Amino acid sequence: MSEPKPPSGAPRDPSRRAFLRGALAAGAITQTLSKVEAALAEPTVDPSAAASADDEVATLAGKVPVTLSINGRDTKLSIEPRTTLLSALRVHADPPLTGTKEVCAQGNCGACTVLLDGRPVYACLQLAIDVQGRAIRTVEGLGTPEALSPVQAAFCEHDALMCGFCTPGFVVATTACLEKNPSASLDEIKHELSGNLCRCGTYPHVFAAALDAGARLGGEPRKDAR
Amino acid sequence: MTAPDSNAAQIAAAAAAANALPPAADERPEWTPRAEMTVLNREIPRLDGPQKVTGRARYTHDVRLPGMVYARLVVTPYARADVGRISLTAARKVPGVVYAETVKADDEGVRYQGYDGILVVVAAETPEAAEDGVRAVRAKVTPLRPPLVTPEQALADGAPQITRRGNVSSESSRGDSDAAAAALEGCDAVVEATYTLPVQHHVCLETHGCVVDYRGGDSATVYHSSQYVTGGPQEFAQYLELPRGNVRVICEHMGGGFGSKFGAGTEGLLACQTAKALGRPVHLMLTREDEFLMAGNRSGSKQRMVGGATKDGKLRALLVEADRLGGVGQGSLPTPPYIYDVETSWSRLRSVHTATDSNRAQRSPGHPQASFAMESLVDELAYALSIDPLAMRLANLSDPVYHRQLQRAAREIGWDAHPHKTAHGAPDADGRALGIGFGVSTWGSSSRPDAIVEVRIHPDGSLEVSNAVQDIGQGSRTLVAAIVAEEFGLPVSAVTPRIGDSSLPTSVYSGGSITTGSVAPAVKDAAFNARTALAARVATALGVEPDTLVFRGGRVEVRDDPSVGMSWKGACALLGGDPLTASGKYRDHLHGERVHGAQAAKVSVDVLTGRVRVLRMVCVQDQGIPFNRMALRSQINGGLIQALSYGLFEERVIDPIHGVMLSDDLEAYKIAGAQEMPEFTVILDDDDDRQAAMGMAEAPNIPGHGAIANAVYNACGVRVRDMPLTPDKILTKWLEMQR
Repeated sequence: MSEPKPPSGAPRDPSRRAFLRGALAAGAITQTLSKVEAALAEPTVDPSAAASADDEVATLAGKVPVTLSINGRDTKLSIEPRTTLLSALRVHADPPLTGTKEVCAQGNCGACTVLLDGRPVYACLQLAIDVQGRAIRTVEGLGTPEALSPVQAAFCEHDALMCGFCTPGFVVATTACLEKNPSASLDEIKHELSGNLCRCGTYPHVFAAALDAGARLGGEPRKDAR
Repeated sequence: MTAPDSNAAQIAAAAAAANALPPAADERPEWTPRAEMTVLNREIPRLDGPQKVTGRARYTHDVRLPGMVYARLVVTPYARADVGRISLTAARKVPGVVYAETVKADDEGVRYQGYDGILVVVAAETPEAAEDGVRAVRAKVTPLRPPLVTPEQALADGAPQITRRGNVSSESSRGDSDAAAAALEGCDAVVEATYTLPVQHHVCLETHGCVVDYRGGDSATVYHSSQYVTGGPQEFAQYLELPRGNVRVICEHMGGGFGSKFGAGTEGLLACQTAKALGRPVHLMLTREDEFLMAGNRSGSKQRMVGGATKDGKLRALLVEADRLGGVGQGSLPTPPYIYDVETSWSRLRSVHTATDSNRAQRSPGHPQASFAMESLVDELAYALSIDPLAMRLANLSDPVYHRQLQRAAREIGWDAHPHKTAHGAPDADGRALGIGFGVSTWGSSSRPDAIVEVRIHPDGSLEVSNAVQDIGQGSRTLVAAIVAEEFGLPVSAVTPRIGDSSLPTSVYSGGSITTGSVAPAVKDAAFNARTALAARVATALGVEPDTLVFRGGRVEVRDDPSVGMSWKGACALLGGDPLTASGKYRDHLHGERVHGAQAAKVSVDVLTGRVRVLRMVCVQDQGIPFNRMALRSQINGGLIQALSYGLFEERVIDPIHGVMLSDDLEAYKIAGAQEMPEFTVILDDDDDRQAAMGMAEAPNIPGHGAIANAVYNACGVRVRDMPLTPDKILTKWLEMQR
């Protein structure tokens, strides 16, 4: 594997705006506010004086060959090392695998859930280069419209989807949950799916589908103690 | 072709004879009686389910085209700002960046958070390069203070003007305030309270945006995550400076809209401009952060109310002063007293503007705000009079449907056996208190007369139904197919629905629960016309009268003598070489208006942590003909869950010093997840026997959070008047009560 090119110079100061954005994403509100205050207290750079510096850009560019095992097939990509698995799947793979959805791109919502060696992970929080040699299963690899997996079939039968944008993530997370334990109880299913968000309100039907699919996979869903 | 129908000469003769027949008799389509339905009024799995659960369904965000570039916006976080020099030189040097242009004119500042905060558009070969381009933009942006992001800032003396209409607009009043004040005098209980609701976001999981496929020339195709496909070409053609007829808009699937996706938006305009400049397809989907900043919201609300009731439980007087808080938009709020009957009422409504993103329609616009205030006030008066809050509601609702539905909801939730109905309860030894609350809803479920539907029967027996309507998750794709299947006595799978494309026959927008009420009658009309035409041909072939024929079980046969008939395929073969095409239009008699709805919530309040846990929600909902009972339950679940989420978690937070939105991701802006789901009991109100098509997406979204708030009071006596019901508010009030 070729090494990425080293930067031509030290990373440049981010723009103030970008800094503020970064600060705002950073954490607790009080902390954020103090950072905002600190940023505002900085002397404003006169853009005309700094024009030459502002007009330059230091880039760290360069693609590397990456081989990903996606749904049992080795897929060769030429991507930048910073490419997330989500982007590798959705944008850089040929053909693109767009079943894995982008909703928040920062690990809040679960729409991009894929299986990595059988465990559910957020594809937006994985670098593609880091998951070489590991088994990646996406929603496309679980079943086809003509031959649905038990989880997919149960989702359809229970109307566990509406707009469908969160659905691939829920299907993958449910698959992971039931492959680990087809006898998962309702509470266990809720726990396993708590990393996935739906806005249309499909949760109750997702739970019903998951319990049903568990039974189809040979489980005997336990009752929760109440 | 099957044996009994294989006489080609006979078929050809019949077809020729059928073509000579006069048009169908002047009978009109009527919905099949519910008991006789074989497809509708049942659980119908979505036709696009297999596509969606396997990741094959293609959304706008998923469109990939040759030569396509990815566009991103540079947006200031500040509500109001001066914008100095914007340097794009560095951005344009970023490898992969092919386009970077400012949106602002020289010296044009930022007047409000939202579309006005867009400074630059960057487009690049990859999303990564586009992001690099965004980061390389240098802009001198100086926030202005005060940012005018709160009503108090906007109303302060000397506050800069926010909108052309000023900082307060659209004032209106209704009723006689003196009369209402006088009516208070005769009341046995008077409650004076201010109810506030935060700004809520739609949080469509697919962000707003489009892919503009323009590669030079005089035509374009636009993929748009849209609630109004038919309306798309007009706007996009204008932005692309192309003839309207040369622009096609496609929305095969869309990841949620909830009222926020009717138009192209500024993002659509900018995508078009970029595509025009480059002559390449442009993918412009908002980031999640952009989505929070500029994709609309449900307006906040502040309602100051004085209400009075007599000891018989009758609402006698109500005075309301309410502010709609829709940012630079007008906001929405129905005129009080909303659903309940009040003898004498007066209200004054106004819009107080802030320098924040305009509100947009959001599922039942204005109603959840009005509902929370009114359901709380009715509840407060009931407890003040020591009246059962259920009885109090029944005493002030004249429509018998509400009585039926509320009593059913009360029965389901266990109100009869509930130990404390007229006074609040107390926590147990573990600090947990149980409570039950109620609320009711209403929605007009109107319709638009625009929909035109085409049904096409092919000689090989295949069957298509076409209309430009979008499926925003409510299941319209499945609905249009199911109505046709019912008409011909075929399974739903026998019908291919073609929707979500502006080149198909005209449809309506999906908003205000009008889709079903507007499109279903037109589908029925088209299917009826197609059936009448096909029946005429079959009748000739069989030598019977057309009106003796029925389509059932995959056959066309004489109603009273099923041995005289033919298979569906045989009937279609009578068409010879050409398909039979029938069109249909909106038929008002097939549509109905106004739905109700009653809800009950049961909660557990932990007074040690202030945490509210919803244990159960019950909804009894009418909807005319329940075409697809499974999709209706999904839709109702969705309304209940969005109300729960609104009531417990959701709140836009903007820092009042700098005007920076602090809740611009799904970490800080929480929506309900799997762990917060209670048990749901959804009851389709089959006592509503109206043979009519009507939508009901809005109604179940309206009273849930109010019912939850009322349940919290019933549990432990904590009355929270400002949503959401976060633990800090519960604890503060609980501790105040203990002093």
